[in-house]
Amino acid sequence: MTNTDIVITVKNVTKTYGGTKAVDDLGFSVQGATCYGLLGPNGAGKTTMMKMIYGKSQRDVDRESAISVFGYDPRGDELAIKYLSGVVPQDDNLDEELNVEQNLRIFSRFYDIPRRENKKRIEELLGFMELSEKHRSKIKALSGGMKRRLVIARALLNRPKLLILDEPTTGLDPQVRHLIWDRIRSLKKQGMTILLTTHYMEEAFQICDNVMIMDKGKRIIEGHPHALVRDNIEAYVLDVIGNDAAEKALRKVPEGMRQDRTADNARLYDNDVNRLRSVAEILKPGEFVLRQSNLEDVFLKTTGRQLHARQ
Amino acid sequence: MPDNSSRVYPSLFTRIYSVWFRHYRVYTRNIISNGLPPFLEPLIFLAGIGLGMGKYISEMDGLPYLEFLATGLPITAAMFTAAFECSFGTFIRLEFDKVYDGMLAAPITVRNLLVGEILWAGSKGLFFSSAVILVVMLFGLVPPTALLLAPFVGFLTGVMFASLSLFITSFVGSINHFNFYFTGFLSPMFFFSGVVFPLANLPAAIRPAAELFPLTHSVRIMRSLILAKPAPVLLLDLVFIVLFTVVVGFFAIRRLSRKLIV
Repeated sequence: MTNTDIVITVKNVTKTYGGTKAVDDLGFSVQGATCYGLLGPNGAGKTTMMKMIYGKSQRDVDRESAISVFGYDPRGDELAIKYLSGVVPQDDNLDEELNVEQNLRIFSRFYDIPRRENKKRIEELLGFMELSEKHRSKIKALSGGMKRRLVIARALLNRPKLLILDEPTTGLDPQVRHLIWDRIRSLKKQGMTILLTTHYMEEAFQICDNVMIMDKGKRIIEGHPHALVRDNIEAYVLDVIGNDAAEKALRKVPEGMRQDRTADNARLYDNDVNRLRSVAEILKPGEFVLRQSNLEDVFLKTTGRQLHARQ
Repeated sequence: MPDNSSRVYPSLFTRIYSVWFRHYRVYTRNIISNGLPPFLEPLIFLAGIGLGMGKYISEMDGLPYLEFLATGLPITAAMFTAAFECSFGTFIRLEFDKVYDGMLAAPITVRNLLVGEILWAGSKGLFFSSAVILVVMLFGLVPPTALLLAPFVGFLTGVMFASLSLFITSFVGSINHFNFYFTGFLSPMFFFSGVVFPLANLPAAIRPAAELFPLTHSVRIMRSLILAKPAPVLLLDLVFIVLFTVVVGFFAIRRLSRKLIV
């Protein structure tokens, strides 16, 4: 298998929980040595989709549906898939009864890694994730960011060909987030295929070669993050903050300018930044933000909902 | 297409052994607090009974009472340790610590995980039985030969109660529900399985019911092995233990799989 082959193929996959479709007829494929992101709000079905890929969850039985990972079907071949993959689940489910190094040592037994090689590998990974000084720390003594890095190190023990990350940076501070992005990029450069879920558009922008925006179990739109923004939305956005300012701005909107009105704010979209600027001129500083459009705007446009809206 | 004939992941033995080893590692990390009680418990029991009740009861089923008791205690030690491990222990790993979810990210199946769990509880049963036998042997209550075969009955007992406890765990919604299992089932069994008095003393109407208690069969085998008095009926006891373990274990694994693979 060469690096550019298709590593994951998902076809017509549905998952029903008691009448609700958590994943609804989803399909996508991931090329080797690329990073694919599932983007969407909480409850969009991202995690369920991930779990079906490594056999932690079973897709609905349907003759049309199929999942193939390195040619294996997680229904029946979950062991082969998990042997080739590293999994970083959403919760940091480390073994709190063991310390940092023991967590990795015990876990490497599951892969049958020879003990001598193992020691070197653990050193290497703790260094890679900047945890070298935490060798003997208790899990409870680690910060959230350290735990996350340790779970990632654990997933890398068997030199996986596929790394599955479920919300790798949710709730972490910007510094750790950048460190993790940095590591993911370097792993991709080494030829690793990466599948991740996130609800941060910036994360998708930073590291994904392809993203699928999901909502309520369904695929909304798919493509390269930059292309998605370029092709689906005006280049610039004027965020108008506050009710009074929004009223003021909307009265001055030139013809043909797209607008969105929420309870307290307004958004104006245009490809010509100067047209937006002319609206902004009547507003006071602090009442507006003029910026380039991003994936969140695409999401809002295609679903009518905010990416971060609480579900 | 992948070639299924070549091994593309660790063998069944490695997978189950890794699970067993995880538990072993966690247990031996606190060797004093985990390893001492099995030696202390029989001491306390023998002191309490020997100094107190033993003075009033001279003989039970043809044995001095302390000896009678000493041949039953290794089994209850195995039962309780396996039951704790696979009820409270399993529940915490499953629901609170999410240790299982972490382990299932590695190339093992839910079945490997739970079989490893059961075998670990069996190993603890073996260790606890051995510890009790060693103590009562040092007091001269059982012959040294008791250490040869009898501990394996502790293993079987551990495995049997691990399966049963996993089965119970698969129904439990709150950790407090285990109280029903311990006070409602395990404690009565301790008294009505021939550990503290012979089954022959039970009213005739209740005796068949005692035969349904899994512990009864373990106690009978253990006592016969320690006293080196084999009898054909022990084969039936063995069959009971094996069947009980396999059937209950099968349903326990099936039900817990549905909790772990959703």
